[in-house]
Amino acid sequence: MNKIWLIAQRDFLTTISNRGFLFGLFIMPLLIAVGVLFGPRLLSAARSPQVVGRVVVMDPTGHVLPALRSTLSPSAIETRRAEDARRTLADVPEANRAMAESAMQSARGNIPNLTIEERPADATSLASRVATEKQALSSGDLAGRPLALIVIHRDSVDRADQSGELGTYDLYASQSLDAATETVIYESLSEALVQARLAAAKLDQQQVDAMTRVRRPTSTIVTAAGEQRAQRKFMQMLPFLVGVFIFVGVITGGQTLMTSTVEEKSSRVVEVLLAAVSPFQLMAGKLLGQSAVGLLAMAIYLGLGLLALYSFAMFGIIDPMLIVYFLVFFLITYLVFGALMIAIGAAVNQVQEAQSLMGPVMLLLLVPYMLSPMIGAAPNSTLSVVVSFIPPMNTMAMMARMASDSPPPAWQVWLTVVVGFGGACAAIWFAGKVFKVGLLMHGRPPNIATMIRWAREA
Amino acid sequence: MESALHLQRITKTFGDKRAVDGMDLVVPRGATYGFIGPSGAGKTTCIRMIMAILFPDSGELSVLGRKSALEAKDRIGYLPEERGVYRRMKVGDFLTYIAQLKGVPADDALPRATELLARTGLVDVEKKKCEELSKGMLHRVEFVAAIINRPELIILDEPFSGLDPVSVKLLKDMVAAEQQRGATILFSTHIMAHAEELCEHVVMIHNGRKVLDEPMAGLRRQYDPRILRVEPLDEATPTSVLRQIPGVSDVKTTPDGWEVHLQAGIEPTMAMQQIAATVPVASIAMARLRLEDVFLRLVAADAQGTETERALRANLQGMSAGALA
Repeated sequence: MNKIWLIAQRDFLTTISNRGFLFGLFIMPLLIAVGVLFGPRLLSAARSPQVVGRVVVMDPTGHVLPALRSTLSPSAIETRRAEDARRTLADVPEANRAMAESAMQSARGNIPNLTIEERPADATSLASRVATEKQALSSGDLAGRPLALIVIHRDSVDRADQSGELGTYDLYASQSLDAATETVIYESLSEALVQARLAAAKLDQQQVDAMTRVRRPTSTIVTAAGEQRAQRKFMQMLPFLVGVFIFVGVITGGQTLMTSTVEEKSSRVVEVLLAAVSPFQLMAGKLLGQSAVGLLAMAIYLGLGLLALYSFAMFGIIDPMLIVYFLVFFLITYLVFGALMIAIGAAVNQVQEAQSLMGPVMLLLLVPYMLSPMIGAAPNSTLSVVVSFIPPMNTMAMMARMASDSPPPAWQVWLTVVVGFGGACAAIWFAGKVFKVGLLMHGRPPNIATMIRWAREA
Repeated sequence: MESALHLQRITKTFGDKRAVDGMDLVVPRGATYGFIGPSGAGKTTCIRMIMAILFPDSGELSVLGRKSALEAKDRIGYLPEERGVYRRMKVGDFLTYIAQLKGVPADDALPRATELLARTGLVDVEKKKCEELSKGMLHRVEFVAAIINRPELIILDEPFSGLDPVSVKLLKDMVAAEQQRGATILFSTHIMAHAEELCEHVVMIHNGRKVLDEPMAGLRRQYDPRILRVEPLDEATPTSVLRQIPGVSDVKTTPDGWEVHLQAGIEPTMAMQQIAATVPVASIAMARLRLEDVFLRLVAADAQGTETERALRANLQGMSAGALA
């Protein structure tokens, strides 16, 4: 055990004192911090210039256009956006709401300045007039063309047939009309149509608004430990975030393990080491050392993540046990994939030769990672439950379930831990066999079938 | 006293090739054994099995009284044929690490490394990175790593391959010092001259089989070459003069002079006196036993003068057949 510890210690210290590792460790949180601090400013700087243009409207009803003049005005658009932001950000803690609103405003861009041009819409000549106006959308210079042509349907305010549905409008756009401005036109027209319909039905808009609006409250989760405001949006993202952390951590750590094993093999230092330790001690030491590196990296990321939650006044929304389980599941996943990567490193002569062997291993890691949002959304579905007991996918699947807003019962979590450690032992056994045979093998690299044969025969 | 090494009917097969075939070997404690044979004879496979890096398909072995070297690694020094270092590690750190892996207490490791490095002529290199050293210096560092735990058994696999003459001399002195200390030494080489110089006992291996297991003294008696090397003062002297001397069976011309072959039972000193009395000579000496000749007599007696014999001889002299041609 002392020798395993010595090897682990050397591998750990060598890795964490490597400049490449330190750069890789801090570059991700640094990029996130830069994104949070400067993202809104960058978005603001990258905002496209204010759209100024003409919108041609043909309104045979005569009731929609007056309302549209009001709803398409810059002040109406701004009011609508503010209300929309307030609803979207209802779950965001007040301390951070101003920043989030500013980010949202920046993302939406400038308010367009649109001038409405009315055109006659007589029933007899409507079709030919529409054709003429449509032609104008694509003729002449770009700056002189109208941005869009809106043709309101005759039955959009009053139904001809009382049992049928109310009509709508047609929108013809020039190539200059961008998606954001089209959305503004759609929202303004919707509001104008509703206003016109209510007026036609002699209903008071304010009263209807008041009677039809039901504001959704932020739910309060009641637990034995107390009550806390639910953060549904954050909790929906959490399983995916956890998946990313495990995936990135295991990939980078596994890659380091494989590279260092290939280096030791190709530099021929490995036989010097085998003069002092057994192949299993060497492998176990390396695995232990790199697992410690992985746990350190995860602890740093978790610390920074918790710091960020604290600064956003959302510290209380994560169960501390979730962090403990995260570290346990990360360690299990790391042991499984680290062992397989060591086996691959021992079997090949150069890092390039490892690519074909890494494919199936990556697939085992990718499948649960890709399933994690699905598992998080339906944590108690049959798929979620079954996958959370199949190693090596079970750890990431169970983590996604636990991070969801409907966590699984404790016995399932413990079963996953037991099955996970069983899987890790099997992976280490397999890797130990391949490691012993592969280390001194040079020449053509083996395929997966050969590695399995080595494990059987060793 | 128990033996340092005991191999019984050890066999190892890779695919269709039997690399080691029924090897028996006993190495007493304190002895220096040469494990010799051409490249590919099975020496490294055998050594790796002794070191428990490979495992035999059949047979039994004991190392320093243990069933496996895994139980005695801290008492063994091993210099593999394919050796290397952590190139970016400092020399002192590398040796300290290896020493600790071999059970040397952390406090003793660096002083021992420094002392052994000084004995190999490497002073003040502890703080240098391994990649900063020359190939010859690295070989010495690797040798220090092999013996830093003051082992009871030292196994050196082709220790002199790729070394410059100065490093070879230094390493031979170090091996001699370890002999003096009482360590058992087993070293493999395909260059017979090294074995002739260092071994007390020779084990020859060919195609995975042991073909000879003899002490050097016995070999010298058994395979006495009965050849005198004569350098005449006058190169024009005809060899027929020598053939007439009683006891001379044959005379061959070589680039340096003559090889005079003696009949069995003839006392070499008498023959030397008679030759000196017959022709004026610059020098006359008895030919030394050459292990490569012994080896070739054992494994290629039927192939004398053929391409097979020339290739084997080239291999045993440490030259390629192409270079020889």
